[in-house]
Amino acid sequence: MSTTVEPAATAAAAAAPAANGTVTPNAPAAPKRTQGGSDNSSLGTFGVKSGLAQMLKGGVIMDVINAEQARIAEEAGACAVMALERVPADIRREGGVARMSDPSMIKEIVDAVTIPVMAKVRIGHFVEAQILQQIGIDYIDESEVLTPADEEYHINKHSFKVPFVCGARNLGEALRRISEGAAFIRTKGEAGTGNVVEAVRHERAMNSAIRRASVMNEEELYAYAKEIQAPFHLVKETARLKRLPVVNFAAGGIATPADAALMMQLGCDGVFVGSGIFHSGDPAKRARAIVQAVTHHNNPKLLAEVSENIGAAMVGITISDNMAGGKFAGRGT
Amino acid sequence: MAKITIGILALQGAFAEHQSTLQRLSIPGWKVSAVQVRNPEELASCDALVIPGGESTTIALLARLSGLLEPLREFLKRKPVWGTCAGAILVSQKVENTKKGGQELLGGMSISIARNGWGSQAESFEAQLEVPGLKNPERSFSGVFIRAPVLLSLTRSPGDPPISIIARLPPSILPQLIPDSVKSDDEEDPRRVVAIRQGLHFLTTFHPELTSDDRFHEYFVRECVVPQLAARA
Repeated sequence: MSTTVEPAATAAAAAAPAANGTVTPNAPAAPKRTQGGSDNSSLGTFGVKSGLAQMLKGGVIMDVINAEQARIAEEAGACAVMALERVPADIRREGGVARMSDPSMIKEIVDAVTIPVMAKVRIGHFVEAQILQQIGIDYIDESEVLTPADEEYHINKHSFKVPFVCGARNLGEALRRISEGAAFIRTKGEAGTGNVVEAVRHERAMNSAIRRASVMNEEELYAYAKEIQAPFHLVKETARLKRLPVVNFAAGGIATPADAALMMQLGCDGVFVGSGIFHSGDPAKRARAIVQAVTHHNNPKLLAEVSENIGAAMVGITISDNMAGGKFAGRGT
Repeated sequence: MAKITIGILALQGAFAEHQSTLQRLSIPGWKVSAVQVRNPEELASCDALVIPGGESTTIALLARLSGLLEPLREFLKRKPVWGTCAGAILVSQKVENTKKGGQELLGGMSISIARNGWGSQAESFEAQLEVPGLKNPERSFSGVFIRAPVLLSLTRSPGDPPISIIARLPPSILPQLIPDSVKSDDEEDPRRVVAIRQGLHFLTTFHPELTSDDRFHEYFVRECVVPQLAARA
């Protein structure tokens, strides 16, 4: 599982220590690189960006909309939380433009928990990303769940010290995002539906493309890179590793412990759960059950135990072009 | 050739990276096999254990739900354990900056530690470490520190085994944890200490498993695991 994507061009970003330090109230202040700064240490390298994603593996990242939900998630064993104003199911129902959340609300969540806090920005909205980096968020999700700000360009993620996760439906999309600097990939699935079918489709597509690439010779890889519109060096690296060169989570429609274990058995490294937890009958119980299901995804006996008596799952909707909010997964390819 | 079975606690975090590095090792006279541990039965088959990086609150909760807390505490009394980052927090005696209501620890090493001692992810860094105890010590080791914990004190109770310091950060890289009472060039400043040994156990606040350099893994097996197995044999 080495992440040997070539070092990102972050030398400039690595120079200046950030002037934040937004951790728990009693936490120590940010480090000071004395005597002329970072003589032999560097911040914001691709290694520390993809490294944090590696620390999240085998874990569950939960959408939360306030400090109270964040605490429930932390107590249930979430390895990180995603701070946002509305979960995807509500964005679908209520409509309107979905944007980055109010920084004060994100800061309350950062102060409430000790686990990493992520937050979403609109595709291409690099100023929302600058704001999140400034307030000391741990990971940014450049997300199709929010209304895109740019229909042509994604954010140049190499120019940030804070790492990015991006959604993808297939190998080409995943490698395009990695070439833009994403250090972490997730399936797009279809967020806010409680329906896992699209996440399954995207993970299957990714796996099948990687298997095909892994048996190709160099000439075939050149042609394949052209076909899937991805940089050749990343296609070649993926073929060599027989997996994506960064961590790959499932996201979009996961609602039950069985859904989570399904995505893990399909080869995902961990799981994002959005509306599935706090739109269910008993969020604390369901959250804990999904955390256990991810760890013990190959143990049907334990999966049966944790699936019992966890309250009603979110209702969920059938995925169609006419559903409320439409399909999110086609945004930002 | 005698066999060593090293378990990697595989509840959450970067356990696969440790496993593949350990499996690559060649230790003269020994065959190393690395296995994932998720329950007490799997733990019982191990000669030594690595507790990986990840989220310490998540790992502690899953350990409790899997009935592993007490078996792990017992394991720490008898067999070598290496904690990296989140694992280092779990083997500490005392921890600061915990979630509300505190968190469960395994203990085993006489240190206190602060979680996430450098700040948010933007403060995560890589630094070159000079480590005399490693193979080819003239080559520095690339330490990857991710939301890393910081040692606050190394305080042995009477009867605890001695602590040896294996690696330090250069004085120019310091989290501003403790007021000026400790000079940053002080060799005894615990905040600079990033790798220690005590008795059977080994601790690093950074992530050797994220690099292709296997010298820390080799060190753990050579210095902590093999002597213990040889003594038992």
